[in-house]
Amino acid sequence: MQKSKREQNPESQFDIGLLMITLCLVGFGLLMIYSSSSYTAQVNEGDSLFFLKKQLFGVIVGLVLMLIVSSVHYKLYIKVIPHTKIRLILIIYGVAVFLQTAVLFVGVEKNGARRWLDIAGQSLQPSEVTKIAVILMVAYCIQKNPKIMNTFRGIFLVMLPVALLLFLVVIENLSSAIVIAGIAIGMCFISAKQRTKYFVIFAVIIGLVLLYINFGAAFRSERIDIWRDVETHPKGFQILQGLYAIASGGVFGVGLGESMQKLAFIPESHNDMIFAIICEELGMVGAGIVILMFGLLIWRIFKISMTAPDLFSGMICSGVMIHIAVQVIINIAVVTNSIPSTGIPLPFISYGGTSVAILLAELGLVLGISTKRRAG
Amino acid sequence: MSAKQKTYQRQGVFFVFCIFSVLLLLLFTRVLFIMGAKAEEYGVLATKLHQRERAIKAERGKIYDRGGELLAGNRSVSTISVIHSQVEHPEQVIRFLSNTLQIDEKEIRKKVEKVSSREKIKSNVEKNISDQIRDENLAGVMVDEDYKRQYKYDRLGSKVLGFTGGDNQGIIGLEVSYDKYLQGLDGAILTMTTARGTEIENGAEDRVEPVPGWDLTTSLDLKIMEYATQTAELVAKKKSAKSVQIIIMNPQNGEIYAMVDWPEFNLNDPFQLPKGAENLPEKKQMDALNAKWRNLCVSDTYEPGSTFKILTMAAALEKKVVKMTDRFNCPGFRAVEDRKIRCHKTTGHGSQTFLEGVMNSCNPVFIDVGARVGVSGMFEMLDQFGALEKTGVDLPGEAGTIMHKKSNVEAVELATISFGQSFQLTPLRLLASASAIINGGNSVVPHVGVSAASGDGKIIKKFDYPSKSGVVTKETSDLAREALGKVVSDGTGKNAGAKGFSVGAKTGTSEKLPRGNAKYISSCIGFAPVEDPQVIAMVRIDEPQGMYYGGSVAAPVVGTLYENVLPYLLE
Repeated sequence: MQKSKREQNPESQFDIGLLMITLCLVGFGLLMIYSSSSYTAQVNEGDSLFFLKKQLFGVIVGLVLMLIVSSVHYKLYIKVIPHTKIRLILIIYGVAVFLQTAVLFVGVEKNGARRWLDIAGQSLQPSEVTKIAVILMVAYCIQKNPKIMNTFRGIFLVMLPVALLLFLVVIENLSSAIVIAGIAIGMCFISAKQRTKYFVIFAVIIGLVLLYINFGAAFRSERIDIWRDVETHPKGFQILQGLYAIASGGVFGVGLGESMQKLAFIPESHNDMIFAIICEELGMVGAGIVILMFGLLIWRIFKISMTAPDLFSGMICSGVMIHIAVQVIINIAVVTNSIPSTGIPLPFISYGGTSVAILLAELGLVLGISTKRRAG
Repeated sequence: MSAKQKTYQRQGVFFVFCIFSVLLLLLFTRVLFIMGAKAEEYGVLATKLHQRERAIKAERGKIYDRGGELLAGNRSVSTISVIHSQVEHPEQVIRFLSNTLQIDEKEIRKKVEKVSSREKIKSNVEKNISDQIRDENLAGVMVDEDYKRQYKYDRLGSKVLGFTGGDNQGIIGLEVSYDKYLQGLDGAILTMTTARGTEIENGAEDRVEPVPGWDLTTSLDLKIMEYATQTAELVAKKKSAKSVQIIIMNPQNGEIYAMVDWPEFNLNDPFQLPKGAENLPEKKQMDALNAKWRNLCVSDTYEPGSTFKILTMAAALEKKVVKMTDRFNCPGFRAVEDRKIRCHKTTGHGSQTFLEGVMNSCNPVFIDVGARVGVSGMFEMLDQFGALEKTGVDLPGEAGTIMHKKSNVEAVELATISFGQSFQLTPLRLLASASAIINGGNSVVPHVGVSAASGDGKIIKKFDYPSKSGVVTKETSDLAREALGKVVSDGTGKNAGAKGFSVGAKTGTSEKLPRGNAKYISSCIGFAPVEDPQVIAMVRIDEPQGMYYGGSVAAPVVGTLYENVLPYLLE
């Protein structure tokens, strides 16, 4: 598949900028995990580096995955494995289904949710594996028959394999299911030529959500009450503590490591609420830079998607972009109490080894595709 | 070979990317909004959450007598505590604290080695010892300044001054009524803490200086208090009395010079249980303590007996239903409706003028005079004397007068009221009403507090007490004083006389309820000089043994008091 130099797009080379942005975010994430978790780690585990070490392991695994994935041609995933009739993508999909099923039976329970598998002393969160599997699966389905994406039947056919995984995920992990559904629907939307149907679907969903929030008092979940009354609701503690943290930030923040709120006021401040600690310690400037970095990251992936060599690789990039963007947006929206609370980590920065490893692998996919670009 | 990307698909990606960009921008605005617009509101709440206050005690205001003699002050003491995380050399700390504080090493070791934010080792540590500890400057050992209330004259005026609890709060007496002036404002050291309450080392420390309480100047007179207390104790012991009350007051303005309710208790050890109460259940122990602290001058009512005749006399004179020269007959009793009410002189006083009736304290005379005043006249006058309501004294726990309902008062009740029986009031109430009668007719509010001044003396608050004139006319007042003077010079109050001074007085004896148990209260109200009263005193002896007539038991006490106090007071 080697192209002659003349045919190559001047951009068709490894996107070093994307790699740099990613590494910056990962490095910054490690720093913030140390800053936000060292107190809790010291108190609970007797080792202030406890969470940092575990995260570092995830980052190293992720970097290795990224290196491997980026050097493998993306078309490998839809190749038929020799001597069988099975494509690699089906095996990845199968692994995701297997892991999601396994976690329901032999998963480890933390904070009342069975979301982790314990493998050789390391914990693995299958829902993260599912995200990458869904991106590949949907991209594969779309490239196989792009025209049917204009019809409800086509959408149904693409969503069928996703639905199985969604069903397995939603049992224990509503927030991940939302992200996965978002990725799949977003990818379908992008691939379709006639989008009127999608806008109708979106309008209906938004309408239902608004109705539910405003008139569903009798049966709406407690989270919505907390969201609407965060300052007075007895269970609004965690979100309110996050708001306190953000509010104490000011322009330049109280300084790295100087957060008060991480001193057990915000429980597990290195997890989903880490953005609040960033705001407190680094202020408007720090928060702005972090959001800008994510913006740049999404922009770089968007650029690669636009110039991707074919529909399959373009859809993969779109999927990765949606994945990262949806998580960033939902996470920051929750921390700032802009939407009801749901537990979604901030990509690359929140604590979670599987999450960072899979995200790095996804970036590996995109980086691999970036080397295959051709002129638009 | 995979399909090519179409333009509309690129548009789709672009559209989605734009949506994401807009959302990110909106979220950044939201973050800026929280940091900007909500910063103050949330910032204050967050700081409240992070700061832990360590109080710096304010010094409580001192209490002085009328001449500026200190009655209640404060002693500087310290509280010693250790902060586990800051202790560097535990062994050294344990040994040093054990030696200086004379506490067993084991006990201190337990506290030093306990993982807690702060462990108190000992409170109320004397200044010289706490200074030693501070000078040693051991890491992790904290010395916090504190004050302990100290009453200079242990038992003197215990029920008037009162005392404070551990939290600088008045429990009885003036310490309660002037608490808000005396308390001052505690200062604070504000330190930053974690959610678990541990102080953060090198965290910013804010210090808010305490404001000392205001000093209270009272109308009490140390010398008179001391003498009255000695006198009360002497009488109580001589007559094996249950208790003795002495109130000495300025009848012109209600300033109390001395208020004694013997037995007094030690203000520096107020929680010491009375004898025999140690083995009682906790609730009974508390009752015993409350009884020990009770100020009978203010909180207990009694039947005043003949001392009340001052009021009956004034009522009759004011209503002009009797002249001093009107004649009455006493056969030793008076029949009122179906009742035969006896005079204390069972053989009768025979024919006498009203003045002689007052001097003899003759019951039939007062029954007749009371009848002339009538029920509504009597109630009207008692109301005017203030006898039916509280005095408004600046001491807590004042009891009210227990009087018949006016509609239930018939001839018999009116007769008994006229000579001071069948109803109850407090000794202080009687003294205040008597004061208004003899001072020319101005009502007085008995009081102890005169003024309060801020610690640096800059702001001074004088306490005002309402007074209304015309309680009785000057004429009535003059007549009453004259008659009461005669009681001492030629009547039942002879013993209340003091050499070299003109004293007016009225004595009283009342049998305690239920009658027939031979338990009496003898009392005497006396004032001097008769022409222009500068001091009025009441002596009340509860259950004297042996002789119990007011004229022979209580009157001499007034006499001795005046012989010793008047030269000093009228100088």
